[in-house]
Amino acid sequence: MDFQISDLSLLAPHMVVTGTALLVLLVEAFRPGKGRSDATYLSILGLLVAAGLTLKQFGAPASTGFAGMLIADGYAAFFNMVAYVVGILTLLVSDSYFRSEEYEHGEFHALMLMSLVGMMLMSGSNHLMLMFLALETMSISIYAMAGYMRTKEGTESSFKYFLLGGASSAFMLYGIALLYASCGTTSLTGMVEYFSTLPSLSDSPMALAGIALVAAGFCFKIAAFPFHVWTPDVYQGAPTSVTAFMATGVKAAAFAAFFRIFVVAFPIASGAWTSAFWVLAVATMTMGNFAALAQRDVKRMLAYSSIAHAGYLLIGMVTATSEAGTGMLFYLISYVFMNIGAFGIVIMLGKKGEDRTTLEDYAGVGFKKPLLGAALTIFMFSMAGIPPTAGFIGKFLIFKAAVHEGYIWLAVLGVLNSAASVYYYLRVLVYMYFRESESESGDVIRTSPLSILAAAISVIAILVLGIAPGYLVQIAEAATAAF
Amino acid sequence: MVENFVPVLILFLLAAAFGLGTVAISSLLGPKRPTKVKQETYECGMVVDPPAYRPFHVKYYLIAMAFVVFDVEVVFLYPWAVKFKQLGLFGLVEMLVFIFILLVGYAYIWKKGVLEWE
Amino acid sequence: MSESYILSILAFLPLAGAFLLLFMKSENVGLIRFWTLGVALANFVVSLPLLWLFDASNPGMQLQQKYAWISSLGISYHVGIDGISFWLVLLTTFLSVICIVSSWSVENKVREYMFFFLLLETGMIGALISLDVFLFYIFWEAMLIPMYFLIGVWGGKERIYAAVKFFIFTMVGSLLMLVAIMALYYININAGGDATFSILEWYKLPLAPSVQMIMFAAFALAFAIKVPMWPVHTWLPDAHTQAPTAGSVILAGVLLKMGTYGYLRFAMPLFPNAVEAATPFMMTLAVIGIIYGALVAMVQKDVKKLVAYSSVSHLGYVMLGIFALNPQGVVGGIYQSLNHGISTGALFLLVGVIYERRHTRMIEDFGGLSKSMPWYATVFMVVTMSSIGLPGLNGFVGEFLIMLGAYLASPVAAIFAASGVILAAGYMLWMYRRVFFGECDKEENQNLKDLTKLEWGYLLPMLVFVFWMGIYPGFFTAKMEPTVDAWLKQVDDKRIACSELVDENPIAMFFTEDVSPSE
Repeated sequence: MDFQISDLSLLAPHMVVTGTALLVLLVEAFRPGKGRSDATYLSILGLLVAAGLTLKQFGAPASTGFAGMLIADGYAAFFNMVAYVVGILTLLVSDSYFRSEEYEHGEFHALMLMSLVGMMLMSGSNHLMLMFLALETMSISIYAMAGYMRTKEGTESSFKYFLLGGASSAFMLYGIALLYASCGTTSLTGMVEYFSTLPSLSDSPMALAGIALVAAGFCFKIAAFPFHVWTPDVYQGAPTSVTAFMATGVKAAAFAAFFRIFVVAFPIASGAWTSAFWVLAVATMTMGNFAALAQRDVKRMLAYSSIAHAGYLLIGMVTATSEAGTGMLFYLISYVFMNIGAFGIVIMLGKKGEDRTTLEDYAGVGFKKPLLGAALTIFMFSMAGIPPTAGFIGKFLIFKAAVHEGYIWLAVLGVLNSAASVYYYLRVLVYMYFRESESESGDVIRTSPLSILAAAISVIAILVLGIAPGYLVQIAEAATAAF
Repeated sequence: MVENFVPVLILFLLAAAFGLGTVAISSLLGPKRPTKVKQETYECGMVVDPPAYRPFHVKYYLIAMAFVVFDVEVVFLYPWAVKFKQLGLFGLVEMLVFIFILLVGYAYIWKKGVLEWE
Repeated sequence: MSESYILSILAFLPLAGAFLLLFMKSENVGLIRFWTLGVALANFVVSLPLLWLFDASNPGMQLQQKYAWISSLGISYHVGIDGISFWLVLLTTFLSVICIVSSWSVENKVREYMFFFLLLETGMIGALISLDVFLFYIFWEAMLIPMYFLIGVWGGKERIYAAVKFFIFTMVGSLLMLVAIMALYYININAGGDATFSILEWYKLPLAPSVQMIMFAAFALAFAIKVPMWPVHTWLPDAHTQAPTAGSVILAGVLLKMGTYGYLRFAMPLFPNAVEAATPFMMTLAVIGIIYGALVAMVQKDVKKLVAYSSVSHLGYVMLGIFALNPQGVVGGIYQSLNHGISTGALFLLVGVIYERRHTRMIEDFGGLSKSMPWYATVFMVVTMSSIGLPGLNGFVGEFLIMLGAYLASPVAAIFAASGVILAAGYMLWMYRRVFFGECDKEENQNLKDLTKLEWGYLLPMLVFVFWMGIYPGFFTAKMEPTVDAWLKQVDDKRIACSELVDENPIAMFFTEDVSPSE
């Protein structure tokens, strides 16, 4: 065990974010006040500083610290960036939401920042124990955030997420224990060494069981079939901006750790888990898409669609090459923009105490509020994977990697699923543009400069990544080149 | 190797049989003359008062949570103190960070009025 | 090489115009209309120099432009035209102007309407000039978006159903094609080629016939839906009937041609052995489409639906000509796609004229219109004749060449297809008789206004082409014949070169599941 003081430099971005969270908490305690956005500005500033520190990690050689527990490489840096983007966009879309709900407290910001620290550590963990602690740091903050508004639905959402999340953590911890029992270590590096001495995995059924349990824990976090049942209720009940945060941040962080652990530590079991993920990927996207087809509520539809997106991303897990990793990274960052963007529009269309998320509430909105309509249109097209949007490039990269490894049928099922998904994404547009509004839908929208900024950033990012993806593809390739 | 555990299994079975058997025999053989007092909840011989189902003051939970946090802090501090020399400067910095974070939390709950019992 | 920018200008000028449109006040309808017309006209004017910049004797790609786009994947912005796409590009710029003029009567949400129209023009031209398969796919899919809105917002009663059906049908086919494109990309790399999506490079890729069959199936399905061939044509009558007039015109005039163009540019030269094997099947489908479309058109009560089904029939001819795989057939096929753009486009315009006056398109609501609207009846007669294929008008040339080509390839198919010509005369003339002749007994029909100046404005250019293409086809075919000859030779050479190939290892891995990841 050698810890060095210089190890702390690896944690610099994490410490900045943690420090910001503490600062926001203190400001809230000593200078409480409504109608101000101090906490928001402060948090964004902290995230930008952290982003500046992370920028230096790109291109630098990978280094480990804390006795090999934490790794700082391009992959972790990429996911840290994703976390900042998730954080900043969530803060921006939350602004008008909590303002109109008269629920402006800095605690939300502090919780979110701490959750972000958990996400950042997940992508950089080179050790199952650190990964588990990071996962819990992330999750516990989110349990609190889901019930933040103390509404009936919010409490239900929080409680459901907490109970099932606790159960899944137990699964994962049990899996880690079994892995420790068979490998004698839970460091990824150590496990690889142990597995390299085994002729085949059938010599260690205990390790196989451990791998399966860890996978089950991750599948819960990414909302993969059959561990997805909590998703619609939790996403629908939580405050919309928290839903946006959960749907993007948790998924990105969980996939970051999932991919690193399985590709780095368990290649020996790849025969077992690729076929399992093959089935899971197909089941997840099919289930998500077909359930989404039946939804009349936009928020719930987006919840099911996020299950479907997890399915597409699982294709990357099946493929498990660095090319697939590139696709997943690109897909996740586009997913962050389009999903938070879409939830941001959902927030704008609601009013105090009334979310107004049924499809009827969207009737005729497209022509009443042309910019808002155009933004949601772009988000929907991107989610459906129609060019020239980032969503298309993301799907293209993931399916391309699958085809490269010979998973033609998986790619075919994936594209057929996206064709089915077009139907429910277009239905939102059908209501927005092709129907006359029957009620006062879209007459009043809740916006603020910050939430408009969030939508603008998302739209621009989706179009830029859709039309000129080359630069980001290169960054993602560099980030996954090690796998 | 497994046969080494046979005595343990026998002991386990005997213990289970004794425990279950005692309860079963006493419930079969013992006389049953229920009275109102006998059917009340057992509370160390005290008179039961008042009913158990009533809300606690919310302050109680807050204090309890704060207590658990600082209790755990001590659990963490103790082994650190034992190994203080070996951990060196790194250990000191780590512990200061840890204590600092808790301190911020302490300031927060203090300012929010968690510690005032009114 | 300043002139090589011309194709990019053609593709992106409408896009730029569309974005400037967003800065105009939506109440300022006059400005919006004239601006859009200006943009479309400017694009048409820019496309005219192609007539002399394009060297007809050169069968290769011309006016090319190539930039690296996503370099790490070998994707580039690569455009160019040859004799196959040349006239289609001009047809697109021409029909766009006509459509904008004919959309003068659109009163509802004019700005958005014009915005989507210009976007559509970018998509169409972009797809026609792309030489990078990835680029083509982007334009090909992006084209759906404006058309979806044009049908869905400005369409008829069943517009939502029609718009969604249009979108999903096309999407399913093209997504399967996308998987095939990815597979080809890796097959090309495995065969020692560069990482590239350039179609010109892919032409050189030798493929075993068994692989070609699978790939061809994916490509052919995508394009067959777009053409549309029987039995995947069912979205077309709905889309046509529900779309606004200009939408129908552009749908019939250009969008459907994307399907036949896709066969010529991608599916057939890439997979010639598969084409050889599939020819009887495709020809059968084409002939079924011809006869089925004609028979269903005959029983239609709605004039627009009748024209829509006649499209199915006409596109059947185009497919028949292309799959004849001889110079007559292919030239005839391309020629017929241009014809169809002109005559069916004109028919849709004419149906739009009467619909604006009477708000109905039912044949039974009309009768004796030749008395109240003599000029309208005359123009309608000319266009009807052109659609039937009367010698001297454009339709005849295309159908004649196709028949000739088809007869050389398969006399049986030609005989069946010829029956379609007779049926076409039947349904068109019967419809004409019921609408224009007889007693003008309905009061609403007696005082209808004849063609206005605006309507003449967009019908006259169409009539010019009806006669021009009918009387002097050489002007048009001269530009395509060298390319078509070279194209046929290329297809044939590749077919012979590939016929002996066996599906070896690199391809076998694509259809087995448990393969170990490549190193």
